[in-house]
Amino acid sequence: MKAWKITGIILVAYSMYAGLTFDVPRLVILNETIRNLYFHVPMWFTMIALLGNSLIQSIRFLRSGQEGRKVNLSLDLKAKNFAEVAMLFSLLGLFTGMIWAKATWGTYWTSDPKLNGTAVTLLIYLAYFVLRSSIEDLEKKARLSSVYNVFAFVLMIVFIGILPRMTASLHPGNGGNPAFSNYDLDDGMRMVFYPAVFGWILIGWWISLIRHRLDILKKEK
Amino acid sequence: MLRAKAIKTIFLWDWELQYRRSSGWFVSLLFSAVVTFLTSLLIKNPTANTWLALMWMILIFSALQIASKAFSANDGQYYYINQLVNPLELLIGKSLSTSFSTLLISLLSFLLFYIWVGFPNISDHQTPLFPLLISISLGSVALSFTLSFTSAIASKVDGNTSLMSILSIPLLLPTLLVSLRASKLALLGQSIEQIYPIWIGELSLCGLSLALGAILFPYLWRS
Repeated sequence: MKAWKITGIILVAYSMYAGLTFDVPRLVILNETIRNLYFHVPMWFTMIALLGNSLIQSIRFLRSGQEGRKVNLSLDLKAKNFAEVAMLFSLLGLFTGMIWAKATWGTYWTSDPKLNGTAVTLLIYLAYFVLRSSIEDLEKKARLSSVYNVFAFVLMIVFIGILPRMTASLHPGNGGNPAFSNYDLDDGMRMVFYPAVFGWILIGWWISLIRHRLDILKKEK
Repeated sequence: MLRAKAIKTIFLWDWELQYRRSSGWFVSLLFSAVVTFLTSLLIKNPTANTWLALMWMILIFSALQIASKAFSANDGQYYYINQLVNPLELLIGKSLSTSFSTLLISLLSFLLFYIWVGFPNISDHQTPLFPLLISISLGSVALSFTLSFTSAIASKVDGNTSLMSILSIPLLLPTLLVSLRASKLALLGQSIEQIYPIWIGELSLCGLSLALGAILFPYLWRS
């Protein structure tokens, strides 16, 4: 087993243990739910990292067919697998966020820019999977879905990255609500949060690569 | 290399075809008229928010309807077109003609909506028409630029008519939110100084879609 995979396991195990047992700041309303920072927020970092790699693989696929060279279909397959695992993480992020929202906001779902951004991201990538499944020809499928992946990723970033900053939001870090940099002046939370983010990204990457290898094996069979 | 003449050829060609065919933009106009009339029967005296939501729903589905036909020619015709123009000129020409039709249909739908439903009751002031028209026009042009590109993707997939809406509606949301805000401020009678930053937002979304489309379209069109 490669070193980065072991690192991923150790970091996630540490963040789970430390996240549940270490001391956290005592704040009204939030109380112990502040621990969700270690579980909810890394899901989104992982999702963006995996989608970013999916985008890179799509661009690499589109460039692979240039100047008379043969296209590399496995790059597109990799883009698909990373996007799929990213959607798994977005669902996990959504569920952990909904549990937190029930405890602090009093409701599972509210029309908030962050939540809408998640819904749109899910819709965009579900459309990407539908597009893939509706084309028979492998090369055409790879080409069209790579083009859509690049186009959709940029518009998704506009939606989840730029527009929420223009509107009011209940979510921590928006609209005057304190985010995590305001809470911990003693940096205690940082020591759990950053390893959690890094560890989950490694684990997500690993899952995607396993899925990708499975797909390649199925294709060869 | 972009040739203005090639873009113009595509634009005029599209436009003439639209005129000659009875299934051209008259269908789109009829579609939006029917939907607008239906809406006017279903709602009386809407609030400002409801009014805007209904109007943008009509505009978005009209735009979808127009754009879904943008690349619907048969292989033989495209064999001929591809001899005349390069993919980039084709995309720009098609985007321009689609946005032009969408603009016309949007303004006509707005007129019908205004006649049949009227303005919402905002008692304390008059709504100036000009900023509202600019907001709607820029919004519908931005919508149609995104839609032209997704229409090109959908046209490459045979026999899946609902794919177009699945692919494009999530992508339209940034444009839609920005346009909604611009038209809301305009409807509430805000001054132009307050609205024009959002117009710039609408314009930059047009630019973004067109630039992304221009980069990606040559890969898409290669067959």
